[in-house]
Amino acid sequence: MIEICHVSKTYPQAKIKALDNVSLAIEAGEFFGLLGPNGAGKTTLISILSTLLLPTEGEIKIGGEMLTRQRQDIKRKLALITQHNSLRGDMNLDQIMELQARLYFMDLKQAKARTEELLAFCGLLEHRKKTVRKLSGGMKRKLMLCRALLTDPEILILDEPTIGLDPASRRQMWDLLRTLNRQGMTILLTTHYIDEAQYLCNRIALIDKGKVARLETPHALIRELGEVAIDEFDDDHTRSTFFAEKEEALAFAATLENKFMMRSTTLEDVFLNVVGRGLGAK
Amino acid sequence: MKIQTFYHVITTVLWEKWVEFKFEWKKITASALVSPLLYMIALGWGLGSTSSVTDRPYIDFLVPGIIALTTMNTSFSAVGQPLNVQRIFERSFDQIIISPTPMPAYIVGQMLGGSLRGMYSGALILILSIPFGANIQLSISFFLVMLLNGLAFSALGVTAAILARTHGDIARFSSFVILPMTFLCNTFFPLDKVPDAIEALISILPLTHASGSLRAMAYGSAPSLLSIAVLAAYAIAFMIIANVVVIRRKNL
Repeated sequence: MIEICHVSKTYPQAKIKALDNVSLAIEAGEFFGLLGPNGAGKTTLISILSTLLLPTEGEIKIGGEMLTRQRQDIKRKLALITQHNSLRGDMNLDQIMELQARLYFMDLKQAKARTEELLAFCGLLEHRKKTVRKLSGGMKRKLMLCRALLTDPEILILDEPTIGLDPASRRQMWDLLRTLNRQGMTILLTTHYIDEAQYLCNRIALIDKGKVARLETPHALIRELGEVAIDEFDDDHTRSTFFAEKEEALAFAATLENKFMMRSTTLEDVFLNVVGRGLGAK
Repeated sequence: MKIQTFYHVITTVLWEKWVEFKFEWKKITASALVSPLLYMIALGWGLGSTSSVTDRPYIDFLVPGIIALTTMNTSFSAVGQPLNVQRIFERSFDQIIISPTPMPAYIVGQMLGGSLRGMYSGALILILSIPFGANIQLSISFFLVMLLNGLAFSALGVTAAILARTHGDIARFSSFVILPMTFLCNTFFPLDKVPDAIEALISILPLTHASGSLRAMAYGSAPSLLSIAVLAAYAIAFMIIANVVVIRRKNL
């Protein structure tokens, strides 16, 4: 459904190649994750997918049709939740939703009813007459989700959607996203929370320095590295070793002199192994 | 683009501008009045009482010029500043780019919204000029010129807002483009007082045509068709530039 074909993006002023010949195909109904450290190119790719940025080279196709800023029919299928709270500070919640409905040519009566539903679901109904600048960070994230869902998009693009949410709201957001995906919505997500990607995504592309370093299901990526991990604590360092079977890991552990811990391998281990540094690192 | 689509987008932008206006209408109104009031006091009552530039009272000469420059300033700012804030600070302009709303219609909507705000300020000055004893003859063409002037400068506001990399860039654009026109374009003094070469240069600027044309109508003369055509040409040219900038700019 989404074809990203040989996309490169250079920021000439900063002389940075943010994306380098990226090609990906995302199927309809997939929950697809983009993982990578800061500056890897995830947001650039999402911005190109939403036409905020134009690629230096390459093209994007949605349902076989080339995506450009002028393709209103394709853009109608997309909704984006940006990393920033891209909301008008001078509007209240009803007005934010009405503006979205108008921009997507929705019937305003229908939009009003859907607004009620969505605001109620996200616990924002009692705040509907507040201006956005009076909302908390978490409320703004929820409002952005409501806005994105108002137009019933086929493809939902989320750039760090749960930043600033408390753990309960984060789980609530996960449940909602899974429900939407089960109902057939294609979801493309970037996140810094690896547990989020592991829990939600069918497939994950690990992006590093503007290139796709790995592309697999979370489970396949973990299996490839080894499903059992042993962390060995040596003074200030922790060294992790991975094994396909528990028996192998136990045999290795028996040879260790330092303290150690045996656990299941996570996607974060895969990430560190492939990219070589943590998500917060530059 | 279908006419219904175009109409829908225009009404959407006008609704958006109305929400914006309702939110801060007191501040908008007060700030629209400050500079013109000062011009009228300092130049109309102050300098105007000691000198005259035509055979009519200076306040009659001054008020159409102030209406022209205020329409320009307000229309430019009513579009340029909020769009720049929405693009760089709030990032809410992202949602416009992503949406299926056609950009050409959106830009025309912004131009109309900006121009109506300019006309609002112009109308306030007309009311304000009554106690100053200004004698202004109003006609439909007078408001048409205000509208065209506003359309041209709000289109310029869209372009400036998209090209600006910081909020400071908008202020700098005003200092280099809007401010010189405010003082030079047949607003406070007649153009025949300046050297021929400068007069020729100033004569091609849109505000010169707006102020000249408004003044002629205020004096009771027929509107200058040439000036109306020039203003319309500027409005169309700036609209095309704004469209090209928004559609072609790689990093919005």
